[in-house]
Amino acid sequence: MDDLKEELKRQLIEQLNLEEITPADIDDNTLLFSDKGLGLDSIDALELIVLLEKYHGIQVTKPEEGKEVFRSVNSMAEYIRKRQN
Amino acid sequence: MYYISAASTISHQPAFRNAGFSGVIEPLHAGSALINPDYKEYIEPGLLRRMSKILRMSVACSGDCLKQGGIEQPDAIVVGTGLGCLLDTEKFLNNALTVKGLLPPTSFIQSTHNTMAGQISLSLGNHGYNMTHTQNSISFENALLDAMLLIDEGEKHILVGAADEHIALLDEISAQLNIQSDCGLTSGASFFILSAEKSDQTLAGIKDAEALGLVKNIPEQITAFLDRNNVNPDDLDLILYAGSVAGTEDGEKDFQSLLKMKNLPVLDYMKYSGIYPTASAFALHMAADQMQHTRSIKNILICNSLIQHNLGLILVQSVEA
Repeated sequence: MDDLKEELKRQLIEQLNLEEITPADIDDNTLLFSDKGLGLDSIDALELIVLLEKYHGIQVTKPEEGKEVFRSVNSMAEYIRKRQN
Repeated sequence: MYYISAASTISHQPAFRNAGFSGVIEPLHAGSALINPDYKEYIEPGLLRRMSKILRMSVACSGDCLKQGGIEQPDAIVVGTGLGCLLDTEKFLNNALTVKGLLPPTSFIQSTHNTMAGQISLSLGNHGYNMTHTQNSISFENALLDAMLLIDEGEKHILVGAADEHIALLDEISAQLNIQSDCGLTSGASFFILSAEKSDQTLAGIKDAEALGLVKNIPEQITAFLDRNNVNPDDLDLILYAGSVAGTEDGEKDFQSLLKMKNLPVLDYMKYSGIYPTASAFALHMAADQMQHTRSIKNILICNSLIQHNLGLILVQSVEA
């Protein structure tokens, strides 16, 4: 089990107040901004930027990266590791 | 005359989806809690998760009203609120004081007073007139006057209502100000469909409303309001009041002496709603409900002088079948 991804799932649920969703309900590849996935919206995108800074000390400085970074838990974890190295 | 086609309230009383509730209500007691419906029935999960109490109450009451009235889209949405979205305001300010770096945006976005009207409109996909009135204890009366003016201009159905929410800080402030009351500070929401024409669904009519600030002589204003509407004090079947008319603590005697009617039924509606700035909206639902279920009641005056220099007056009349 990838600890970073599990931590991210818990942080997503807390930061976005995803009632009735548990980390087990979120697959690593679940699309965050698709109705077929978590169905997040533009306010959530801002919350995710805050989440990365709050929990991981990472500032998203290039807005154009957002679409790919916030695609799924997998892509978020990959981005965090890349920025931390 | 303006017609109330539907009404919905979330409060400490069993008012939500319960026609006839005014016959079973009881004064609030210590520990009395808000009676919340299952919000999932009225609000999409995606929207519900970030909504504070005041937003949940407002959107659910609005949805219930429209359902009752069989109206898909109102011509306008008008909301009154005395203190606005306090939970989100408090959350945002606490974040601003404690969080280093970027602030979470949701509580900031939802902290403004017009969030209720905005969320109602988003939940309906409504692109009509959308307005929020905030004038402390007479916010609802101002919203109602706006809705009445829109009907005068030719609109057919207006969604009009009011909501306020309680946070613990209000108790601290009221204790520091030495405000004492039998009924506590609380939250509440009431929404109505105000229509231009009478229908089979009409609960009651609104003959007139008034919202006055910097009032020096409340009894004079009440008498003038009744005169203007050609209503004699002995035509009144009930007065629902909040606050004090003559600066005494006995509202019942004040009204009976002002209108020179010893047996006039007078009721302090805040004993039933609890205290919040827009509780006169609760009184309007209570009045309409009483008229619907007690045919002998023809005229009810709602007199809101919760804050002494503000005065809200609403004259509710029954509608003959």
